[in-house]
Amino acid sequence: MSLVNYLVLSGILFSIGSIAVLTRRNAIIAFMGVELMLNAANLTLVTFGRLHGDLHGQVIAFFVMVVAAAEVVIGLAIIVSIFRTRGSASIDDANLLKS
Amino acid sequence: MNQFVPPEIDWAALSPVLIVLGLAVVGVLVEAFVPMRARRATQVVLAVVGVGAALVAVAWRWVVVQDEGPTAVVAGALREDAPALLAQAILLVCAFVGLLVIADRSSGEDAFAPAAAAIPGSAYEAEARKAGLAQTEVFPLTMFAVGGMLVFPAAADLLTLFIALEVLSLPLYLLAGLARRRRLLSQEASLKYFLLGAFSSAFFLMGIALLYGYSGSVRFDELATAVPATSGLDGMLLAGVLLVIVGLLFKVGAVPFHSWVPDVYQGAPTPITGFMAACTKIAAFAALLRFVYVVVPGLQWDLTVALWVIAILTMIVGTVLAVVQTDMKRMLAYSSVAHAGFLLLGVIALVPSGISSVLFYLLAYGLATVGAFGLLTLVRERDADGNVTGEALHLSQWAGLGRRHPVLAVCFTLFLISFAGIPLTGGFIGKFLVFGAAIEGGAWPLVVIAVLASAAAAFFYVRVIVLMFFTEPAGTDADPGTTVVRTEGLTAVAVVVCAIGTVLLGVLPGPILDLTASATKFML
Amino acid sequence: MTNPYIPLLIMGGLALLLGVGGLAASAVIGPKRYNKIKVDAYECGIQPSPHSIGAGRFPIKYYIVAMTFIIFDIEVVFLYPWAVSFAELAGFGLIAMFGFLFLITVPFVYEWRRGGLDWD
Repeated sequence: MSLVNYLVLSGILFSIGSIAVLTRRNAIIAFMGVELMLNAANLTLVTFGRLHGDLHGQVIAFFVMVVAAAEVVIGLAIIVSIFRTRGSASIDDANLLKS
Repeated sequence: MNQFVPPEIDWAALSPVLIVLGLAVVGVLVEAFVPMRARRATQVVLAVVGVGAALVAVAWRWVVVQDEGPTAVVAGALREDAPALLAQAILLVCAFVGLLVIADRSSGEDAFAPAAAAIPGSAYEAEARKAGLAQTEVFPLTMFAVGGMLVFPAAADLLTLFIALEVLSLPLYLLAGLARRRRLLSQEASLKYFLLGAFSSAFFLMGIALLYGYSGSVRFDELATAVPATSGLDGMLLAGVLLVIVGLLFKVGAVPFHSWVPDVYQGAPTPITGFMAACTKIAAFAALLRFVYVVVPGLQWDLTVALWVIAILTMIVGTVLAVVQTDMKRMLAYSSVAHAGFLLLGVIALVPSGISSVLFYLLAYGLATVGAFGLLTLVRERDADGNVTGEALHLSQWAGLGRRHPVLAVCFTLFLISFAGIPLTGGFIGKFLVFGAAIEGGAWPLVVIAVLASAAAAFFYVRVIVLMFFTEPAGTDADPGTTVVRTEGLTAVAVVVCAIGTVLLGVLPGPILDLTASATKFML
Repeated sequence: MTNPYIPLLIMGGLALLLGVGGLAASAVIGPKRYNKIKVDAYECGIQPSPHSIGAGRFPIKYYIVAMTFIIFDIEVVFLYPWAVSFAELAGFGLIAMFGFLFLITVPFVYEWRRGGLDWD
């Protein structure tokens, strides 16, 4: 199977992720979109690593996974605290800051 | 199979970063083991001493590098060269004064929620407040952020840059949500900052992946050598470079990636806003400079248009929206967007003096920013019973402040005229140098727009000055509504340092100019 | 001459049997009591929203456990490549990994001392 397929897949995943961030109103879902984007980038990295025949791509993917985990925890902490305050995780409800 | 060769690690070259991150780890242990009463004092001492020691270490490395020339550290992941060290020094100076403001307890309370996990307005929160709890985790978090920022200007490969980006961002997301008052706003700011920050770092990461795919390496130097070797993959290269630049531009708050700036600056605790506004911008611009000056020169024909458009938009949008703001923090936020635009001129110039001028500008901007936000923490509202409450941030509440509290108003005026770029302040010299570099780089249309934007920006700075000195105060003398609280002294020290720095940079810029003048070249 | 993959196949079969068998057995012999809580959507033990925020207590424990799990589970990702190439990395790898493990331990100690691990 051609490696290009993986790149196409990662492109599609990245697009789905970014559209989810831009259109979904629930903070958790938007955040899942971000995670999808990170994973799409990971797939790209691993594929290119394979293409170039070196390990850097995979090593970077490891780092990204760990960073993504740290980000998940920070994100959940923030979202949970806001949910407890308002009883809703909708981004639209977070509208106190307006210009 | 390749034999594994352990990398040479020059611990001395890493000492500033190691000091800061090491003390951040110690700070976490302090949270775990030191009894509650003693925590705050311990943390403040640790943080201040840590940043001070790191500054000394940077100075030492500066001397070493001047003697022995720049080096690649940790198997080439970092570069220890003049611009990196200078950016680190500027960063540490601003972080130091920023920390003083963070540590200050005006009117007996610090600026942070007593228990961040408590629901705002709940009984538990009231209890925590009464018990005098303090969220002293603020200090280790700040130190982690400073550690990430220190790596940022020196990072010479994209992976290190990404990790540093996250290490500096993640603590800031949390810190933005810890305000003692107006907690809903603060939590909201935190959420927005986090979601948009994570979104932009995903783009940044995709850029890294594409650049890796193009060149088979994430090193800046290998990227730079791969750039001229066009191999039918130019689209990928260009997209990758653009995405990485977008990730960095988000951090500096350039239009159209600025939408988080006003909200986060307004919602975050004011000392954190000052720290973040100054230090994030310094770190991100230093990294942007390195990336652009090392990788982009082979690409400038393709990227110039995009960067020009972004710079023009940033200057105009920042200035225009700052004019219509009625909230102090939002006004300063938009003004910082405009400053990002001016700084971009030095990045776009792509001439050696661009590097040194941007660094000088960053120092002047950083000092004025920390000072201005430090003063904002002192001007408070007073409720009907005379209790001091939150910060008085509406412009009208500042009317006539100059008559009651001349020293504060004069300091604030000083910072504002430095922002505006009026002579005899650091801001003027900074703008002058950056615009000069841009002209040298052939970007004179940008300079014309920048000068016009500066003139327009002077309007809203002067408006605040007029408000403070020449407008009748709203309240009566008996009940002014707005009051200035006494500090523990730390904020006062920070503001005085910033004010003296701002004036010195404007009147006697010579020594600093000599320093920046030797930082005109990135080690490849 | 047995194929070396046959034990693997047997193990797969056993796993399938255990999984499906457990489900089937509970469906056949388990008691069936349907009540409101049981048919509700499961939200980590929280009363499904909407519910009044001030009144209901919000069990934060699940989140703390989940977050702890994510962090310590994922950080271990570095241990696997290290273990695989342990012989080659030798002393440098060992020291680096000890440094890494120390840094992981610090937040763990913090969480433990501040009561993050207490269930009640």
